[in-house]
Amino acid sequence: MDKGDDNKRGLRSSDQAHRPIYPNQSTRMSFEGASGLLFEQAMAQTRMAVCLTDPHQQDDPIVFCNEAFEQLTGYRREDILGRNCRFLQGPDTDQRQIAKIREAIAAEEVVVVELLNYRKDGSTFYNTLHLGPIYDAEGRLTYFFGSQWDVTDIHQSRAEERHAKALAREISHRMKNVFAVIGGIVNITGRSMNAKDVSRKINERVQALGRSYEPTLDDAALGTIQVGQAIRSVLEPYDPEGDRIIFKGNGVRTEPNAISAIGLALHELATNATKYGALSNKTGKIEVAWAHQKDKLDRNSLEITWVESGGPAILGEPDSNGTGFEIADTLLSHSRGTLDRSWNADGLRALITVPIANR
Amino acid sequence: MKRILVLEDEPLIAMDLKLAIEDSGHEGVTVVTNAEAQNVIDEDGIAGAILDVSLGGGETCRQTADRLWERGIPFILHTGDLNRVGEYLREIDAPVIAKPRPADDVVAALLQLVA
Repeated sequence: MDKGDDNKRGLRSSDQAHRPIYPNQSTRMSFEGASGLLFEQAMAQTRMAVCLTDPHQQDDPIVFCNEAFEQLTGYRREDILGRNCRFLQGPDTDQRQIAKIREAIAAEEVVVVELLNYRKDGSTFYNTLHLGPIYDAEGRLTYFFGSQWDVTDIHQSRAEERHAKALAREISHRMKNVFAVIGGIVNITGRSMNAKDVSRKINERVQALGRSYEPTLDDAALGTIQVGQAIRSVLEPYDPEGDRIIFKGNGVRTEPNAISAIGLALHELATNATKYGALSNKTGKIEVAWAHQKDKLDRNSLEITWVESGGPAILGEPDSNGTGFEIADTLLSHSRGTLDRSWNADGLRALITVPIANR
Repeated sequence: MKRILVLEDEPLIAMDLKLAIEDSGHEGVTVVTNAEAQNVIDEDGIAGAILDVSLGGGETCRQTADRLWERGIPFILHTGDLNRVGEYLREIDAPVIAKPRPADDVVAALLQLVA
């Protein structure tokens, strides 16, 4: 069910949790003794809608209700007393929940159900009804106690959340298909122009970009990306066995706009590692760590460190794939970020820094 | 040279896979529906298959997967929605490759099973 349906049939929260109760002193059922007085005052003050029914009378009518019950349902006391609770039901009330109530009453058991109820003005609300028997000092069934809490807000947000999740999943699926189709176009075009190597390079970058956005789509509602998820998605194809790249980081999030530059920078690092670095032999490892830091200018930054080890000895910066890093440098500088590279003999160490607006 | 079946409703992806199969020295046969796939499986001796899971209009590759399974022909599932594979094809024990993935990789994964 989406919110549109809810609105059509007048679903409305009564804001029960936040509305003060002003006790109506005029007509009250009196309960005996000091505890009776306490009960009356407590019932008058509480925001919990409460009623008592008398199972010994014909059709188990309501014999007591408090102010909160009147406010919740929109009925006045004189409309309520003497009637069975079912007058709050309507066409869309789930009869399975009603059956549970009936069974609990017959068995003198406690039950909690969530059901759609109707106010006097025809508007509806989701009600969590708690119902149970009350016995007197001799253990004889005296009343049934019912407490009502308006959970319309919770119900709506649950429905909206389900809807948003389904939508995000559908978008994610279509987006992946779009990237797969783009891959097809690039490959087929490259082939027809005898430029297969070029098309492969284009494709690898396009696909790395697509993978960087996967986590955004999966929790699109939050508006930020979990950095670690994006890093893992981008690098996953370069480590099919999952034992060469070690990830170290927590659940820090960042705005999606920085992610294309980060994704492509990681792609260039991984491509380089596959050709010349830690992924070019059978023993090398790469440690990738990410965290929020203060940079030199005291701005909040996302830092991703990339440390290769166990690969072949590095003699210096390889010249043949300079262009890939140039693209990453250009993209990062656009976000005021940097990609520092140290070509150490035991492996490349790189640091990606991207300033972020908020933490 | 082996004959590989590609069941895929998106023409560009199908074509890309077919070309990648040819690059690897084999022959690719592309089909769009389960019915077409059935004919190819029945008539031509195919060595393996790449199946798109969601074929549009709510149709899945289920029928083709079952037929291949019966005949012991290896196949891989190629899909953009890993959750839906779980919902529709839970009992099918075949490798899943998530889209998007370079066609060469998809074909290489299948050829490992065929060999």
